[in-house]
Amino acid sequence: MKKGYFGEFGGQFVPETLMQALTDTEQAYKKFKKNKKAQTEFARLLREFVGRPTPLYFAQRLSEKLSQEIYLKREDLAHTGAHKINNALGQALLAKFMGKKRIIAETGAGQHGVATAAAAAKLGLECVVYMGRVDIERQKPNVIRMKLLGAKVVPVLSGSQTLKDAINEAIRDWVANIKTTHYLLGSALGPHPYPSIVRDFQKVIGKEARAQILRVAGRLPDYLIACVGGGSNSLGLFYQFLSDAKVKMIGVEAGGLGIKSGKHAARFFGGRLGILHGTKSFLLQDEFGQILTTHSVSAGLDYPSVGPEHSFLRGLGRIKYSFVTDQQALEAFHNLSQLEGIIPALESAHAVAYVFQLAKKIPKNQLIIINLSGRGDKDLETVKELYE
Amino acid sequence: MPFLVAGDPNSKISFEIARKILPYADLLELGFPYSDPLADGPVIQAADARALSSGMNTDRGFEFIRRIREISQVPITVLVYANLVIQRGLDQFYKDAEKSGIDGILIPDLPFEEAKEFVAVAKKYQINQIFLVTHTTTKQRLSNILKYAQGYIYLVSVLGTTGVRNSFSADLRALIRRVKKSTELPVSVGFGVANKEQITDLVKFGADGVIMGSRLIKIIEQFHKSKNLPLRVQKFVRSMKINKVKL
Repeated sequence: MKKGYFGEFGGQFVPETLMQALTDTEQAYKKFKKNKKAQTEFARLLREFVGRPTPLYFAQRLSEKLSQEIYLKREDLAHTGAHKINNALGQALLAKFMGKKRIIAETGAGQHGVATAAAAAKLGLECVVYMGRVDIERQKPNVIRMKLLGAKVVPVLSGSQTLKDAINEAIRDWVANIKTTHYLLGSALGPHPYPSIVRDFQKVIGKEARAQILRVAGRLPDYLIACVGGGSNSLGLFYQFLSDAKVKMIGVEAGGLGIKSGKHAARFFGGRLGILHGTKSFLLQDEFGQILTTHSVSAGLDYPSVGPEHSFLRGLGRIKYSFVTDQQALEAFHNLSQLEGIIPALESAHAVAYVFQLAKKIPKNQLIIINLSGRGDKDLETVKELYE
Repeated sequence: MPFLVAGDPNSKISFEIARKILPYADLLELGFPYSDPLADGPVIQAADARALSSGMNTDRGFEFIRRIREISQVPITVLVYANLVIQRGLDQFYKDAEKSGIDGILIPDLPFEEAKEFVAVAKKYQINQIFLVTHTTTKQRLSNILKYAQGYIYLVSVLGTTGVRNSFSADLRALIRRVKKSTELPVSVGFGVANKEQITDLVKFGADGVIMGSRLIKIIEQFHKSKNLPLRVQKFVRSMKINKVKL
């Protein structure tokens, strides 16, 4: 397979200015992985700063309601409230290892921005986060948190003012500041080596979950379910189980206002092969290749492309994909809060919503793990009609 | 070498501008507007948005060039992002480029690592595949780029996106020299060029051509509602022409 590719997906489609930096990052990452001192420190911080391992929690009332055996992998309990911290910490340590003094990041829901700001504060690095103005409005608590953690938040006013535009601005900044700056990309997308690095830093989720489920249930799960925006939390859970052939994996995309409405972010239900942000993957685009504006109630899933490794694993049939609508995600948000006392992020609520649908189609008492990728404090403003 | 976004602010006026500046251009660089131009700064981003909202697309882009060819033989390089090329189909895009009379294609998000098939198709249709060289291009990278590069080298003057700059770094002179030592191809310098002094300096540094984009497009941005916009742009381009500098 060609370097940087997952089958026909992946690659490095970025301006010449960035190419040497991508090579440097890849070489540094290889050294970082082998460096005992760096890895020991990383492991310590995953325990003491992030709070790993996260629990695998048996959702008793949800299980009873759906006649299934459902566990939640509690990434919502990781420091800063989502799985994003696993990658942010890893890459921040990598940036320091490379001698970079400044990190930049893009953010959609704000969780990656917050995680990056926290890691930067811990390591004493300068931090700038790009966020679409539309996202700033709908994820205000996270904007405040980023600023409290010492990051500069730059509103992005171009394009649709959401995640894809924030990535454009972050890339432009990186092009201009390549010598001092590491671009801390938040999901399993972008040019090689990012999809691999991000997946590597997230696979701790599945590594823990596999050991935990064997311990508590005595067998491997029947189903793994996760929401898919860029693809990092899902790959993080799924990766360790890829060669466990009987474990079925389903990625849940943002169905927005429904596929027919055209207002969604379900790449595998209307997209096709294209290049965005440095990588070849499935992409929502018009007939000429102009990128479409997507919609989802959840900012973190509101993105027109998907990580290349997902496109590849889907092509192999290893991971299946589905979608739920905004409405279904909001219902699941409400249901999980009242059934288990856990308020999920709207992104993660998509995975929960899907399990409600799946439960009716499969035999009873299947062993299911849902990746609860984040908590929903950031979404209270969006869901207020649910409680007012 | 002026750069314009095809269809900015609309097809009719854009064509008028092109028509008026062609007599003063050694080469015309034409951008196909894109929804996500990550190599471009705010001026060209806005130009792309204007062109797209007035209906420019790939079909019309080729049509635009065919019309230019009816009135001028000035060499044309199209600047187009990779996704627009692959959606049409690699072979089809270059075939259409040849048919409309395009001489060169520059894909800003296509590094040499990903260019093998593109270069093969370019050769098939006798289109020059233009490559970027920047301050971060190492000796090794330059030698790889030169294996594929045709037409001219587009040397990016600054670390950053397109957009007017006040000055260029001292490294630029050294970069121009390094590239010229390694290739027979002409070297054209672009990004950030704002005035005649800079053009003169760049030619003194060894540039065979100087590309000016954002500075021109800013005029379009400022005066796009004005009736004499094409004339204004023409006046400006004309004032930028320098006589060959004797070294």
